Amino acid sequence: MSAEALPQGWPQGVARILLDRVDSTNAYAAGLGATGPTWIMAAEQTGGRGRRGRPWSSPRGNFYATLSLRPTETADRVALRSFAAALALREACAGLMGTGAGLALKWPNDVLLNGGKLAGILLESTGAGGQIAQLSIGIGVNLIAAPTPDQVESGAVAPVSLLAETGIRVTPETFLTALARAYHAWESRFQAEGFAPLRAEWLAHAARLGETITARTGQSSHQGRFDGIDESGALILTTPQGRQTIPAAEIFF
Amino acid sequence: MSKHSTDADVAFIKALAEILNTNELTEISVKRDYAEDDSLDVRVVKQANVVTMTQAAPMMAAPAAVAAAPAHAPAVVAGSDDPAQHPGALTSPMVGTAYLAAEPGAKPFVAIGDKVTEGQTVLIIEAMKTMNHIPANRAGTVKRILFEDGSPVEFGAPLMIIE
Repeated sequence: MSAEALPQGWPQGVARILLDRVDSTNAYAAGLGATGPTWIMAAEQTGGRGRRGRPWSSPRGNFYATLSLRPTETADRVALRSFAAALALREACAGLMGTGAGLALKWPNDVLLNGGKLAGILLESTGAGGQIAQLSIGIGVNLIAAPTPDQVESGAVAPVSLLAETGIRVTPETFLTALARAYHAWESRFQAEGFAPLRAEWLAHAARLGETITARTGQSSHQGRFDGIDESGALILTTPQGRQTIPAAEIFF
Repeated sequence: MSKHSTDADVAFIKALAEILNTNELTEISVKRDYAEDDSLDVRVVKQANVVTMTQAAPMMAAPAAVAAAPAHAPAVVAGSDDPAQHPGALTSPMVGTAYLAAEPGAKPFVAIGDKVTEGQTVLIIEAMKTMNHIPANRAGTVKRILFEDGSPVEFGAPLMIIE
């Protein structure tokens, strides 16, 4: 763990912990018990994971970090940070690339570059009585390397790296500062203005809006036209059976 | 304005509940016309299996981790034994998908008959790719699990009975 001076431009009131190697930054954050907002970054993860326990390939040089927060809100509102994180992640990438061209968002919070998966976000919360006690926003970005297509689920968006797609080489630490700044701005906006501006911005960058997509839920699969997201963040799918709002699913193009 | 026997209505509703229980159904609505100005409207719903989306296909049990869930959720006839009203009910704090285990194939957090402590994670509800670890609202024994692994749940839906 290192505690040197924070870099220029680092957001006020936010702590930073840099680790060399950890099982997963989300697991570390859950056990840390930080009282204020804290970014935890690791150079390497030995047990990085994605949604539903899928392994997240975590070699050195890519970005692995978790923002630990202690929101005092209901669970449905806390979950809207999925979109704040996606917007911040897209913005950090665009800033370092010098352009937002080629970047898009896949519901709810994957960042795509040139149609491939550049980054993923997994949020985990613990709480009691309908209130959240601790939220971990785990973010992984393929800065210099992407897993090969055979390492991802069949039908999933192919992974890409920032380096291979753009020739830009960014260190994880540089990326963290850009991301922390961008997230801080979206968090402030969310607290001041609610979800509406985040929803509008998210829709402005959404991949496949108005097109046919497939949403696989725990028990079933639905195909329909992707008609945006509602005020709870749920995906709106227009199917032959009618309009469906889906709060949790894996999306396939 | 019912001119026919109430007992017959009760028997009819009971029969519907039985159909609901023995088939993969979540809801039955029937209108019965007896005579002019005499009809019966019945809607029987499996409350333990609240569905947020219109299901395009019949509900299928998820292959993994479903062993801990009851094969068929109990049917509830309006007015009787609503698990949401049970003092030991753990209800959903949000709309989402409920899971019995951290990931497919993993050991479920709890099974029926397990003793739990207050605050212990007993299930996960996913919404917006946020995995919410839901804690037991009290110490006790898991008496009933009212959802299937990977099934959609509504806000306030009873998920477990712990007493």
